[in-house]
Amino acid sequence: MKQSRAYPGTCADKGTRAKVRTPPRQLTRAAQTRRTALWFVLPAVLFFLLLSAYPLLRVLWQSVRYANLVNPSISGFAGLDNFRTVLDDDDFLPALGNTALWTALSVTGEYALGLISALALNANVRGRAFFRAAIIVPWVIPIVVAGLTWTWMLTPEYGVLNLWLVQAGLIHAPIAWLGQTGTALLAVTLVNIWRSFPFYTISLLAALQAIPADLHEAAVIDGAGSWMRFRVITLPHLRVVSMTLIVIHIVWTAVNFDFIWVMTQGGPLNSSETLPIMIYRYALQNFDVGAGCALATMMMGFMASVFFMQYYGMRRIASSQAGTA
Amino acid sequence: MVIGKSAQRINSVVAYTVLVGFTIFCLFPFVWMLDTALKPLHEVQSLHPSLLILRPTLDNFRRVLFETSFPIYFRNSLIVAGSATILTLMIAVFCGYVLSRWPHTGIARTVGSALLLSQMIPGVLLLVPLYMLMRQFGLLSSYTGLIIVYCTFTVPLCVFMLKSFFDAVPGEIEQAAEMDGCSRTGFIYRILLPLSAPGILAAGAFAFINAWNEFMFGYVFINDDAHRTLTPGIMMFKSAHVTDWGGLMAASVLTVVPVAACFLYLQRFLIEGLASGAVKG
Repeated sequence: MKQSRAYPGTCADKGTRAKVRTPPRQLTRAAQTRRTALWFVLPAVLFFLLLSAYPLLRVLWQSVRYANLVNPSISGFAGLDNFRTVLDDDDFLPALGNTALWTALSVTGEYALGLISALALNANVRGRAFFRAAIIVPWVIPIVVAGLTWTWMLTPEYGVLNLWLVQAGLIHAPIAWLGQTGTALLAVTLVNIWRSFPFYTISLLAALQAIPADLHEAAVIDGAGSWMRFRVITLPHLRVVSMTLIVIHIVWTAVNFDFIWVMTQGGPLNSSETLPIMIYRYALQNFDVGAGCALATMMMGFMASVFFMQYYGMRRIASSQAGTA
Repeated sequence: MVIGKSAQRINSVVAYTVLVGFTIFCLFPFVWMLDTALKPLHEVQSLHPSLLILRPTLDNFRRVLFETSFPIYFRNSLIVAGSATILTLMIAVFCGYVLSRWPHTGIARTVGSALLLSQMIPGVLLLVPLYMLMRQFGLLSSYTGLIIVYCTFTVPLCVFMLKSFFDAVPGEIEQAAEMDGCSRTGFIYRILLPLSAPGILAAGAFAFINAWNEFMFGYVFINDDAHRTLTPGIMMFKSAHVTDWGGLMAASVLTVVPVAACFLYLQRFLIEGLASGAVKG
């Protein structure tokens, strides 16, 4: 653009398109750009409207209506009946508790492992590329494969982990980790941590590498030990990334269906059932779409509030950083 | 660095120890998967499993490939994930172009935030309405249904990845092309696409991995063996009473192969792309 204005002569030589550049047509050009842009984004917008926006609205709509997948005669306005169905369900509170436990343990474990591995990868060691690749691998494979492989390692009769634990003298006899009400959820959580922490590693590593080296050097000259430097320099630099990571993963973990379904299907005796499993059960096993959508609506409300808190948290961090600078 | 030599040595010893520990933690399940897949039945069912294989055999692989529906699932996954990737790229190239070239226009901002938002909407919340939608259109147990649904997560992903790759193509090239009488679409096809080919391959590989790995929609929307994809299919191997673990682990190894191939290619992009795209501080 700039060039064509500076050398109108060269432009005119190029033929027909140059005519568009005359001042009265400037507006048409902007309008043209807008039209092109609209055409270009149209497919993406259509997909978004059809596959995200419309289904979301439909969840809200169905949550206040009676709807059944196999019996179309069940219909009509339900008010808050579907919500009452969910809240009165004896499995609801345990499932809510399981979801909270599963999310809290997963995110804490993932963050801890992610931070330690990122710090180690950030150190000046040989073979970093290899270590980095090895650590990312679990995150890339299908959850089904991760879940089944760990299920195999945890089997009571032939599982290698049970054998090791017995050999190490930590347990007397092999334990059916996934078959007992007390351990099933914890075992699945461990596997989730194994698969998900690499995402933290990559993100935290990127943030660590963005910290200017002279900050650390200056601190060393001032006599700061490594713990001190970690606290005063490293941690504050990781604050924003950490917060984003944690919020995203709280939501992703709370709504995760695959892991638990693959490894325990919510059992034994519903001991590892979380809210997403309940949504599936309501809608696709009991065919009660209304109740399923009511539960989904409640989860959407929960997620919206998590994002709301994150938004304000970020603003506060931003303003406090602006204040100290 | 001004840190003393001895302190540095301690630091690197600690770092190595931690990294080796993590590597074992991350890779051991794969080692065990491969190990089990190569064991004959009586060694798989040993009460004292060990890494050592006395009689390595490809029997598990042979059984999975010739006596089960695994090849059908594999083919279905290739069809679905491949088509979803191509469809996604066709949509995302143009959308990413708009987001990259005119980032401050109202259109780009609206579409950008809508896509960002849709990336945050978890699949399980859309499960019920999408199931009903697919039923309405008769797309349950069909490739088309899954391909379309996979776009819910692959399109936003690719749009943002492609946007950052397109950002790297200097605007001067586009102006030069325009002066030479190249239309906007012509520029995209003839210049932008070849120039950002590695980026497009990377975005495509990432979309493919995600589509290949997807489990829930495939599990819920597909009810016949002829259309079932690999991830739900592999779960069918595990029955309530007796599970053929040797076969299951062989199938797992084969499932991971395409993903591993994509990952090897993706590696160098993944680090930057994820760090800048997914978790922008």
